Amino acid sequence: MEIAQILSNAIIVAAIYGLIAVAVSITWSSLGLINLGYGFVFSFAGYWAWLTAQHLSEWPPLIAAAGILGGAVGGVIICLVVFIPLHDKPNFTTRGMIGTLAISLIGSQALLMQFGPRAKSLPELFGSWQVDVAGMALTSDKIGIVLCSALMLGVVVIWMKGSRRGLEIRAMMMNPHAASIVGIGIRSTGIYVMALTGAMAGLASVLLSQTYYIAPFSGLTPLIKGVSIALCGGLGSVQGAVIAAMMLGLTEAATSRFLGGQYVLITQFLVIIMILIVRPHGISGLLDKAREQ
Amino acid sequence: MTEVLKIDGLSAGYGPLRVIHDLDLVIWPGERLGIVGLNGHGKTTLIYAIAGLTGWQRGSILLNGEQIGRTRSQGAGRYTHQIVRKGLAIMPQGDEIFTGLTVEEHLDSGAFTREAWRDRKTRKERVLDLFEPLRKLMKTPVGRLSGGERRMVSIGRGLMTDAKLYLVDEPSLGLAPKLGQSVMEALLAIDLEDSAMFIAEQNVALLEGRVDRVIGMHAGKLKGEASTTLGIG
Amino acid sequence: MTETQPGKLQPITWHNPLEPWGADQGNPELTSVAQPDAGDVWRANTAYKAKTYKVGRLKHYVIWSNHGRRLWRRWRWWPTRRNVLQIRGLYNRKTLKAEKKIQDRRPIYWAVCLALLAIGPFVFPASMYNTLLSAGTIFGVFAAINVCWTLILGTASIFTLASYAVVGVAAFVTTYLSMQWGLPWYTLPVGGAFIGLVMGGVIAIPALRLDGFYYALLTLGLNELCRVFFTTTKAFGSASGGLYGADSFIPDSWSPVAQSLLSYYSAFGLLLATLFLFRFINGKRLGRVLRMAPEKREAFAEACGVDYRRARIIIFVLTSAALGFIGGFYATLYRGTAFSIFSFDTVLLGLAMVTIGGIGKAEGAILGTLVVIFLDKVLIGLGPARLFLIGMIMLGVVLFTNNGYFGIKKQFNAWRDKKRGEWRSMRSEKGGEALPEEATERDNKDEVYFLRFDKMQRDFLKTLICPEIIEEHRRQPLGQHSAALERLLMYFRRAPMDDKYALQRNAETGRYKIIAFSGQRGVSPRVVEDREYDTIGDGYHAIFVRRVHDLMEA
Repeated sequence: MEIAQILSNAIIVAAIYGLIAVAVSITWSSLGLINLGYGFVFSFAGYWAWLTAQHLSEWPPLIAAAGILGGAVGGVIICLVVFIPLHDKPNFTTRGMIGTLAISLIGSQALLMQFGPRAKSLPELFGSWQVDVAGMALTSDKIGIVLCSALMLGVVVIWMKGSRRGLEIRAMMMNPHAASIVGIGIRSTGIYVMALTGAMAGLASVLLSQTYYIAPFSGLTPLIKGVSIALCGGLGSVQGAVIAAMMLGLTEAATSRFLGGQYVLITQFLVIIMILIVRPHGISGLLDKAREQ
Repeated sequence: MTEVLKIDGLSAGYGPLRVIHDLDLVIWPGERLGIVGLNGHGKTTLIYAIAGLTGWQRGSILLNGEQIGRTRSQGAGRYTHQIVRKGLAIMPQGDEIFTGLTVEEHLDSGAFTREAWRDRKTRKERVLDLFEPLRKLMKTPVGRLSGGERRMVSIGRGLMTDAKLYLVDEPSLGLAPKLGQSVMEALLAIDLEDSAMFIAEQNVALLEGRVDRVIGMHAGKLKGEASTTLGIG
Repeated sequence: MTETQPGKLQPITWHNPLEPWGADQGNPELTSVAQPDAGDVWRANTAYKAKTYKVGRLKHYVIWSNHGRRLWRRWRWWPTRRNVLQIRGLYNRKTLKAEKKIQDRRPIYWAVCLALLAIGPFVFPASMYNTLLSAGTIFGVFAAINVCWTLILGTASIFTLASYAVVGVAAFVTTYLSMQWGLPWYTLPVGGAFIGLVMGGVIAIPALRLDGFYYALLTLGLNELCRVFFTTTKAFGSASGGLYGADSFIPDSWSPVAQSLLSYYSAFGLLLATLFLFRFINGKRLGRVLRMAPEKREAFAEACGVDYRRARIIIFVLTSAALGFIGGFYATLYRGTAFSIFSFDTVLLGLAMVTIGGIGKAEGAILGTLVVIFLDKVLIGLGPARLFLIGMIMLGVVLFTNNGYFGIKKQFNAWRDKKRGEWRSMRSEKGGEALPEEATERDNKDEVYFLRFDKMQRDFLKTLICPEIIEEHRRQPLGQHSAALERLLMYFRRAPMDDKYALQRNAETGRYKIIAFSGQRGVSPRVVEDREYDTIGDGYHAIFVRRVHDLMEA
């Protein structure tokens, strides 16, 4: 009973942060860009969804779509401002990372100036009903969050495996130079990747706003958690990110159950550091050899 | 008949190094051209210059009458994909492959145009007819293949689109002589129709008498046109 | 034909010297076509065509006169043998005078800038005195932190984002200890240094295993961990905005201005101390060892016997102790700390400070801190736009410079060298001239010069060719010609024997055919064309036209 409760909480946490982790992971491995601007993308997408809910309609799919679209736009902004000018310059990795941080600073200040520091909340997307499964109460938002993020992840994975663009992205992960020889444009692929990962962050934002609020700086914690999960799973690996998300979600749920909420980060970081000391490239960081030329 | 490739006054290099000096070259449809030269005399750089991958370059390069050369001194590789889409297939030297993709995905990655992507099945069949050993390796990641198989994959990838010009860089490099021979056989067996093929090679014996023209390359310039069979132009 | 055209010489008229004695054949007088100036061709061929700019690469050293006897006497940094400003004594080769020049001007700049900071409180405008003084204090502390951080980022090349976390932890723990046990103010920095040492040791463990950006992301999380831990722990005043109440060295009995002045100068002293630390780590053995092992060449350095990992960790731990010291100092200076030291914005601002000036340089860290603190603390009236502005500056610096403000010079020099190399290699021309590669391979350098001369001569002769000349040759293939035609024929006659044209007379028909010599003894000439000419004059002219054609083609 209790274990089931912990597990369900773990899965929900994993579902949301896993989305960001996979986004960070894909960006790093295909573009070589450590994107710390997802915090901004997160809030940006949240505000899009909020504006839609305020001015257009409160129809849930529309709000979710607005969030996803906003995230994609935010990702493309980062791509145009940071990735495209910098990708063939010296010290790209450091400068790219600092550039995304600068964007997150600028963006959150701009949001703060535009919308003020007060938090906004979205309407409930999944209604408010409950299902009892094996004696355990599952609320609608929990089910909705897990289903949506699983759907998104599934779509992304299938798209990456099956489509031509996905093949291009995967080819660029392995060997960017050979990719350009084959006819894959680094810049155009960069835009696809950033739009895709931004959309994932946007969806995570909409989902997380079911439990929290939308504020100019609300993207920070999800970003840090997502980055930690991506790190732990091994940058560049989707499966690794999913496994790590599950592990950290489990840690979080178990810690808040047995030790108390304020120890969550401590136990999580202990777990992350342990994993990284045992496997410096994360749980399944097999791909980074190709990136660390 | 328009030339497949017409290079006029091409110079290219990397930073202060000038590798290719005022080079002129014409390749006609249906022609197989061999470029022979020692290491470091600019064969690979010539291929890279055609694809826009060198540090800087100037001079005119016409691919099927379309200008793809430009005077530029930065952005190596920035426009390569556009050039490649205009009908260039590059089969690079060494292992420029995507280690994690399977052979099948690898061949698919060569079919980047919309039409090629649509009928990639038949194209793959065509490549497999040429490289029979790949047929049972389709699901294997390329990273696990041997050197000869990798070379076959890399050449097969180039054959997946309707390129006007195939640029083959050192197909026999690093392979056992027998394997190199068979890779070369496969290249010669390809039906060119109205496209052309450009093979850069160190080993003259592999090319002699089997391609239409052999041109020597020395210190960034082409030397002589030892025309063997075809006398167009 | 007498008037002078620009760029063309006067036509040369030839008078037959034998004319007064009656020459039965030949012309009494011949006027040549107007010839272009051969000097034009020379100038065009020898001109320096690359566009030049008046930007020199000479370093403009300050040169003083010196006494010959004192040429080798220098100031030295006591007690070392190190030369102050690296002054070099030398003799001017032209004037034969003794001179001395400064090769390293950086100490002068440092002294001037630090002196400006030292006299700052006396020149601040009265209207903003308090703002500037408190901003100056914050600047001193943050510059000290950033210099230490630069030491880790640049010298040790460990990309950590947890420096502010170390400072914050040291500050909080010392404040707590001071409040609990009543520790006096002078123990706080020392205690902070100890805490920093311990923390540095703990954080350094993952740095041994993780590389580059994995570590950066991990430390980002670590920072967040510290923030959450301190804001949620009751002992550290989770309810209020921070923990205050530590013992301070600033006497309460002093006037507010005197208190601010004391804190300003103590922060300034802290900055000086950190700069010395930077100098003694970066400029001494550890820094030099690590300069042998730059990023991506670690394996090579290791093969040379450089234990770069150990050096990095030592620097990391030492600098962490220094950061802890600064944390303790911060606690005594402000009697405590706010939670904002752990916030993500602080890390971002710190990163902005370090990047704007340039990572890896102490002057970069100080300049960046100055810019950011000025925007953030002095221009308070701008509101949230300050951070926006800082972000824009940071983004601009990252987009346009490789390594901040102090990297611009190096970047510009590298760019200029690249451009220069490209221009130089694009400059060599087509046609006859030997390329540098070939020139070095030829043993007989006369050939190289001959090729160059020959190209110029052909360029000149091409300018002479015009219908008049061809018509003149057709009229009279042999005999005295005008000067221009004579020059042309002279060049044709001098051609080497291989592939030189000749006429072959068919003995039966008496007609002429053009042939070309093989240039080799025993190899018969080849027939150039099947056409036959009736007279020898027609044949001569046909050969002439053919050679003119060849000349124009070449």
